Amino acid sequence: MTVHVHDLKILFRARPRSMFLRLSAWFFVLLVLLSWPLGGFTSGSFFTARRLQNVERFAGELVPYALRGSDITLEGVLGWASELWIRRGAEALFSTLAISLVAALVMGMLTWVLAPIAARTLASASALLPTASRNAVSMLGVLGFLTRLLFLFLRAIPEYVWAYVFLGLLGPSAWPAVLALAVHNTGVLGKLTADTIENLPQAPLTALRGLGATRAQTAIAGVFPLSLPRYLLYFFFRWEHCIRESTVLGMLGIVSLGYWLQDARARTFYDEMFFYVVLGALLVLIGDLLSAIARSILRRTS
Amino acid sequence: MATDRGCSRAGSRDGDALASQPLSARARPWSSLLSVIVLAGVWGWWFLDLDLSALIPAQANRLVIFRFFSAALHPALTYESSVPPETAPLWLKAAQAAGMTVVFAAACMSLAFLLALPLAIAASAVWWSSVLDPGRKQHALLLALAGSGYAVARATIGLLRSIHELLWAVLLLAALGLTPLSALFALAIPYAGMLAKGISELLDEAPRGPTAAVRSTGATRLQQFCFGIVPTVFTDLTAYFLYLFECALRSSAVLGFFGFPTLGYFISASFENLHYREVWTYLYTIFLLAAITDVCSGAIRKRMTA
Repeated sequence: MTVHVHDLKILFRARPRSMFLRLSAWFFVLLVLLSWPLGGFTSGSFFTARRLQNVERFAGELVPYALRGSDITLEGVLGWASELWIRRGAEALFSTLAISLVAALVMGMLTWVLAPIAARTLASASALLPTASRNAVSMLGVLGFLTRLLFLFLRAIPEYVWAYVFLGLLGPSAWPAVLALAVHNTGVLGKLTADTIENLPQAPLTALRGLGATRAQTAIAGVFPLSLPRYLLYFFFRWEHCIRESTVLGMLGIVSLGYWLQDARARTFYDEMFFYVVLGALLVLIGDLLSAIARSILRRTS
Repeated sequence: MATDRGCSRAGSRDGDALASQPLSARARPWSSLLSVIVLAGVWGWWFLDLDLSALIPAQANRLVIFRFFSAALHPALTYESSVPPETAPLWLKAAQAAGMTVVFAAACMSLAFLLALPLAIAASAVWWSSVLDPGRKQHALLLALAGSGYAVARATIGLLRSIHELLWAVLLLAALGLTPLSALFALAIPYAGMLAKGISELLDEAPRGPTAAVRSTGATRLQQFCFGIVPTVFTDLTAYFLYLFECALRSSAVLGFFGFPTLGYFISASFENLHYREVWTYLYTIFLLAAITDVCSGAIRKRMTA
């Protein structure tokens, strides 16, 4: 069979089209084209002689202070790095990791409390308790809606802003960073978990109910084990995000990686600042690796 | 992205796993993962020397906290202190800050896309097997070149995305000074990494059926890539792009803390002046921005998969 150009034209004209999608695509293109002049990104010449000089000076200051003016050897660089690592680096790295771990635990527990309420299938009385009163049904509906709205609000506000606010209210400790990470990511994990619960296969749950299980029993023996693999996948996905964010929250004044980075920046010790940036990148890569391992275990066994 | 796709695969297999495995065997990896999570959290708690009583604020602070959270119920509509008469009204200032937040995010995503495209293609195995037919014997030098191109692209992506955008901001501001363009690059570099990672994974995981159909028409390997693989990832790519745009909105708001005129700048200014009701006005503005984006991207995704 041969295909003629004419047939292709007919096929092309008959392709599914959506006015809404076209308009949104054009809107986005317009937004991008407007954003460059509006943001002042195109104004003036960027690479002035002074700026290039500044870049050169900055590059020079990235060289470890002790090694400036002499030969840069691998030994010298390693010595500088290990000295920084012992003095502060290790402590900074481990406290950053610890912040992300505690935050992830708090996020996980908060999600277990809130996600079942937000899941419309579980919180609605109709599926599980056909005899429930109309008042109970509408109350559960309102509660579920409010929880979803709360999730949206929690995840709309960035961690950095939450941390800034909590630091102002609670004073300096690790709590503001932990709470900020936990609160924002509960908004994300809670929504994902609630969606998971809503999309669970209904047959096992109906069978449990048929055996006479109460709502709580169905939740514990049916919903919990069925949604666990996906919940854990999302959990590790969010923990990766927590680690990434926790490298910068210290910049607000919470003792962790970002704090020492900001400290070095304020003293214009750019070599030391660069060391902390590298350390942060290393931590993120390690977190990604651990999370990838955990997720592959989950995928293989579920 | 990759996580979501992995999840959907795992999710579809839940039912089979349930039927074929005894309960004890199924429970083992999950409960051990759960205990690792709890143990890690407890270690973190011990390492940070956290104390629950630190969460109960001192008498003096309690009033401030109460004042902050009760301000949530009545955000400011006008300034909380007297301002010069020619100052723009608060709602206009909030709208302008929201506009700048969108401007930074949109410019960031456009720049990130341009940076990500070549990286993503170089980091996808499908592309290299399209250019170099694995069935034919290739010159060793060509293979080595392709292999190093792939490796360099992967390493670059890892490097770009593992450094947080605020760390890029610190580096670029120190090197280039406080200009909008350095802030834009600080945002766009990690987002280019994330975008490139997502695109290359989508390309590599694309279904092989359409490619086979295009091949049966006698298309070259390059044509198979362009017309068999690229169109199939378009829907998922749009969804991922929209997700990253939402993240970019938040990042651009935070950039305000470094002195750029996005929402973060006004939040910190009002908070430092103890104008909590103004803070809530700006927080609700971010919320509104996120809610609008959420609704729009949901509608777009629904129509694309329909």
